[in-house]
Amino acid sequence: MKFLLIALTLLLPVLAHASEGEAALPAQNWSFNGLRAGWNKAELYRGYTVATQVCMSCHSFKYITHRDLMRAGFTEAEVKAMAKSMNMDLNAPLLTGLAPADAQETYGKVPPDLSMMNKAREGGADYVHAVLTGFSEDPALIKEHFPDGLPAGAYFNKAFPGHAIAMPPPLQEGAVTYADGTPATVEQMAHDVATFLQWTAEPERFERQRMGVFVLIYLAIFTLLAYLSKRAIWKDVKGH
Amino acid sequence: MSSHQDFTPKPVEKNIRNTYRWLEDRLPILSFLSDALVTYPAPRNLNYMWNFGSLAGIALVLQILTGIFLAMHYKGDVNLAFDSIQHIMRDVQWGWLIRNLHMVGASFFFIVVYIHMARGLYYGSYKSPREVLWGLGVIIFLLMMATAFMGYVLPWGQMSYWGATVITNLLSVIPFIGKYVVVWLWGGYSVGDPTLTRFYAFHFVLPFVIIGVVVLHLWALHLHRSNNPVGIDLKRAKDYIPFHPYYTIKDTFGLGVYLIPFTLMVFFLPEYLGHPDNYIPANPMVTPAHIVPEWYFLPFYAILRAIPIKEIGVAAMFGSILVLFFLPWLDSSPVRSARFRPLYKQIYWLFLINFVVLGWCGANPPEGMFVIIARVATVLYFSFFALLPVLARYEKTKPLPATI
Repeated sequence: MKFLLIALTLLLPVLAHASEGEAALPAQNWSFNGLRAGWNKAELYRGYTVATQVCMSCHSFKYITHRDLMRAGFTEAEVKAMAKSMNMDLNAPLLTGLAPADAQETYGKVPPDLSMMNKAREGGADYVHAVLTGFSEDPALIKEHFPDGLPAGAYFNKAFPGHAIAMPPPLQEGAVTYADGTPATVEQMAHDVATFLQWTAEPERFERQRMGVFVLIYLAIFTLLAYLSKRAIWKDVKGH
Repeated sequence: MSSHQDFTPKPVEKNIRNTYRWLEDRLPILSFLSDALVTYPAPRNLNYMWNFGSLAGIALVLQILTGIFLAMHYKGDVNLAFDSIQHIMRDVQWGWLIRNLHMVGASFFFIVVYIHMARGLYYGSYKSPREVLWGLGVIIFLLMMATAFMGYVLPWGQMSYWGATVITNLLSVIPFIGKYVVVWLWGGYSVGDPTLTRFYAFHFVLPFVIIGVVVLHLWALHLHRSNNPVGIDLKRAKDYIPFHPYYTIKDTFGLGVYLIPFTLMVFFLPEYLGHPDNYIPANPMVTPAHIVPEWYFLPFYAILRAIPIKEIGVAAMFGSILVLFFLPWLDSSPVRSARFRPLYKQIYWLFLINFVVLGWCGANPPEGMFVIIARVATVLYFSFFALLPVLARYEKTKPLPATI
């Protein structure tokens, strides 16, 4: 009875969650997932390169400053050099130079802030990766979804809900030059920048998980001691 | 509470050892606490389902404590609210921890209270002489729902805004005055800054109202003492054991078991029960594809949408909760525990499964088969309450034991 009851009650939130998914996104291997996960500094730096050189032409990261990167394992000297190469103050948020009014005129809408993107979309990093690599000019595919042709100014994207996106394909082979010599393929850049976006969305991720492990160990001991005490105290109660 | 019949004041005790008696003579708060938490005679046969009452109390205290620290950093202004949440998550020392505890804590509070209510339903804890105790519990549940609803508006994301818009709009069905009531509630012609500010005020103060009702709930509980799994009145002194140390240690163990999944969610899956759209700032110009409330409202949301006529849908949704107040009189069977009620036991489980099905419908868009399932489930939900008076008359209950 008890376990059935608890199981039923727990089913409610789980069901609510399970029925939200839409089209399945191709799941990627992320360095921030798994048991031994952490921020991969080289990957973050490559993602930062794409974010600042490509994304920031139109999008902002208004909750992120260069100083914040120190939380991901960059040294103060490195961060200062990065800020300096962009002529930015260490504490200035990463804002785009594109004025909202100009964006509205050119693209028909203001590009969203990217700091929270991986939390603000179903699928998170997988979704961002899928959108960045999901552009297609295949006429047959476009015809299938838009028999009357794409809306004016829109681009076809396999992962974007509705498939017509206002953003032009942002990544082209070799769009950036990686300092570590990694070839800048679209796939590589999409993967790196999606990892970077995971960090901008939850910079506390690994502080949180590390602390969680200690709290769980503490609770396991606490619960065991409480159980043994309970058994000792209840020893003399009839029927228990 | 021990009553004092002797009204003549006693001389102030000179001996420091008698401070307890001195205070006791002026404000018997220590003996009140002792009666409630130490010597309170509890049935000795309570099972682990009886842990959820004290767990709910702990969950409430945790929400209030974390909430106070969040309130120190939150800004109740449409232009600042969304950013202030990010300020808490990124800049405030331990801000992410406090917010995750509060966010996950709300969901876990509802899980605990749902189990607590389901336990009362199974063992007939709402029956005489505990009708008022049950009714106070339903009031707490309603206050919790109001508090949680307004709390979800505060981050001022897309779901905050549109959830608030959909739910407050429901009041427009009140005949004649409905649309004025909604404007009055909003403080304008749509959900906006005045709405956010007043919701913040209510979200802050309602938990303290809940504490007040919890005190009444405990008062009513202690008068006739806890029900028990057998559901019979316990008359012998040896059927009871003092709350401390027996139930304090059992509740401590229960707390540990509860905190483990809670911790897993707080530290490893804090966003699991949230909605991604709420990380998009509120935008009155863009309606989300599906507006879904938090999971704990989904069964009631499904009832609302199951009925095509809005007025009746709203009435059914509120009715589905208000009917709980009448439960003690709808179920007139003298036997409390479902252990001795073979028919009740069956419809009880059907009712619970049906409740989960309603939640599942509420999470899905109201299209196709979900509409049909939701309608059937809505009828079944109310059928449970309609069946209770009939059941009490025809059900052959098993013989009750004389004692535990």
